[in-house]
Parts: sequence; C-alpha cells; structure tokens
Amino acid sequence: MTTTTYVDGAAPCPPRAGTLYDVLELILDRGMVIDVFVRVSLVGIEILKIDARIVVASVDTYLRFAEACNRLDLERDSGSTTVPELLGGSAARSMGKRKVRKTVESVGDTVRKAVGAGGSDDDEYEEEEAEERPARPKKRRAPARSSGSGGTSRRRKAEA
Amino acid sequence: MRADGPDTGTADGPGLYVYAVVRAGTPLPRKSGGVGSPPAPLRTVAVGPAAAVVSAAPAQLRARRRDLLAHQELLTRLAGSGPVLPMRFGMVAPDEDALRAQLAAAEPGHLAALDRVAGHIEMNVKALPAPDSLAALVAGDATVRRLRDETRRRPGYEANVRLGEAVASALARRAGEAGRRVLRDLAPMARATAGGPEVPGCALNVSFLVAQADSDRFRATAERFAAAHRDHVELRVAGPLPCYSFVGAANESPRAPVGGG
Repeated sequence: MTTTTYVDGAAPCPPRAGTLYDVLELILDRGMVIDVFVRVSLVGIEILKIDARIVVASVDTYLRFAEACNRLDLERDSGSTTVPELLGGSAARSMGKRKVRKTVESVGDTVRKAVGAGGSDDDEYEEEEAEERPARPKKRRAPARSSGSGGTSRRRKAEA
Repeated sequence: MRADGPDTGTADGPGLYVYAVVRAGTPLPRKSGGVGSPPAPLRTVAVGPAAAVVSAAPAQLRARRRDLLAHQELLTRLAGSGPVLPMRFGMVAPDEDALRAQLAAAEPGHLAALDRVAGHIEMNVKALPAPDSLAALVAGDATVRRLRDETRRRPGYEANVRLGEAVASALARRAGEAGRRVLRDLAPMARATAGGPEVPGCALNVSFLVAQADSDRFRATAERFAAAHRDHVELRVAGPLPCYSFVGAANESPRAPVGGG
C-alpha cells in the first residue's frame, strides 16, 4: 500500500492561500448529507488524517523543535530582523548558517505538514491513483529537502 | 485499501452523483465539468420549486484531487447564479426515483435553507501555530526558556524531548489564544458561525456565513489581524466558498472553537 508516499514524498512548497487543501475538510465533512444515499469511500483519506496527527505529537517532531530551539542564538540574534533572515534564506549564503536555516525550515515544514498546510496535497487524495499533477510553480527550496525527511517519516510510521 | 464505492467496470456506475440542491430554474454554468473522467454531462432534476444538480455517477468514485476540485468548482460557479445547498462530496443517489422522492420529502427544509444562504457566502478561517515564531516564543515563554537553558547545561535526549514538547504545546496555545481573539473580531461581521471539522494541528477552524457584500471587508479585517499577530498565529482565510457549513440547522449554531493537536 502506498499511503506512506504522502509523508515520505512530501515536496515542500510555500502555503498557497485558498487552495483545495484549505477547504478539504469542508468538502469532505460538511455539506448536505442524505442518509439514504450512498457515500463514496474515504478510507484512504481517513488513514492519512491519522498519519498527520501522529506527526504532530511524535518524539521526532519534539526533537526537531528542540534542535531548532537550541540553535537559536538569542543573545546575538535577539533583534527582530534576525528571525526572518534565519527563515527567509538570505542567511543561507554563508555555509555556517545554512545548516541552521535547514533545521529551522524543517521545523516549519513539520508544523505545516502536521497542520495540513504543506505542499503535499496532491499526493494526499491520489495515493492510489497516479494522476497527472496540475502544473504549478514551486517557489523556493525545491532541492535537498526530502532526503532528510524520508528516514524520519519511516520512523513516524514505526511509531504508529 | 478497500474500495467501497460502486464498481461496475463500466464508464459510469449506477446512480446519480448529486452536487447540490438549488432553486428550480437556476441555470447550469456553461462549460462546467463534473466528477469522473471524462465527466458525465450535468443536468438538473427538479421537483416543485427545488432542483438537484446531478450527473451520472462515475464508477469507482473516490476522493481524488481532480474530482474534489470538480465538485468544488461546480458549486462555486453555481453560486454565481443563485443560492446553493452544497452536498458533501461523494453523495450518490441510487436512481432518479429515489432522488425525486427525497427532494419532495425534504422540500420545506431545502427551501428554508436556500433562503437562509441566499446572498451569503462562507468564509473559513484556520488558526495554526506560527512556524516563524520560534525566537519570539523562546523570548516570551518562561517555561520554554527554562527548559532550553537546562538542555544547554545538560544536553540529552530526554531534555530535548521535554523542550520540544514544551515548544509544540506553547506554539499551539499561542495560536489558540490568537484564534479566539480573531473569532471575537470577526463574528460581528457574520450572520452565523460554525465550528469546522477538527484539523490535526489546527488550533481553530471556524466558518462564517457572511453577506456577499461584506466578504471583502471580512477578508481585509482577517488579514489585518494576521499581520498584527504573526508572531502568535498563522491565519489562513479561505473564501468566498459555497456554504458547506450552513446547509442544515444541526451545525449552524455558534460553537466553541474547535481545538486540535
């Protein structure tokens, strides 16, 4: 079964306002229901929701938070300008800071993934059907991301 | 993974996929697709003053992105021609007779609901932990700061887990608090509010029934709040949407914010 591709293969991209993902739960859980009618099976969707919940509360997430937290240099970086810099990418030009940026980004991704705002929406409802993805721009940070999360995702599965 | 949906091996399964209930005479949007590949033609089934918008149900209907989008887009377009009662994704009537019987039986409720949503749209607001606020959090949360200091003095797995857990819960708490404030700010602009389904990691998920004329003002207010509180919360505003959350009396009453993990 391929339900893990949602977590493992998540290609991070910035949140997009008003996407299908933002209203997915309304389309699936709200709207009129007529009891005598048949309803399409949503087995896959339910499983993936549970997956996301596990991510939120996992030790793995905590360790990522802690790592990012410990790397913050509050004494030196207490100015408000440093935070966007840390997360935004200009700091990544220096090799020393690149690792920091990556760490903090991965925390952000964990949050985003966990809360359902990540870029993995294509995979979520297509875990069984290989469908064409609509072309859409992938802004910032395409490369060098997913390899790190692959291993941890498997760990998450193991905790499940 | 099981497939419980209709599976006949043909292009169309048995039954009618029902998208929405509208007032009879509401025109179908031109060039509109529906669920299925290729989508079956849309038509209306009218009984008295109400009508259902349907197409032949595709075989092996599942909650795929393409079909979810088709459902959502058709409802959005229909809303341009008059009030719409959106069906939940995936409702299939066994046949037209059953659909007609249901429309007749539910007519008073449908008409009342159509009147209620006429001229209104749904706006959905989610409050999520702010991903960029780690430094602000450490600076502002005594517990997190203490655990961080301890972790630095005596690094270790347990200490890191405790620290990370504190960070996660503090992020969620700050998002929840900000979410309740934005709910207070926005509720006066809405005719009704409805708690949305729980979304994992989402501190607040609320839908607002907003007069069409007020939707820009609503969004602007939400965005001002989001900008002013970005250290505490990431607000995601979606809409105008079909009134998914306001089609029945059951889930229409104002509810306490729905919390998540």
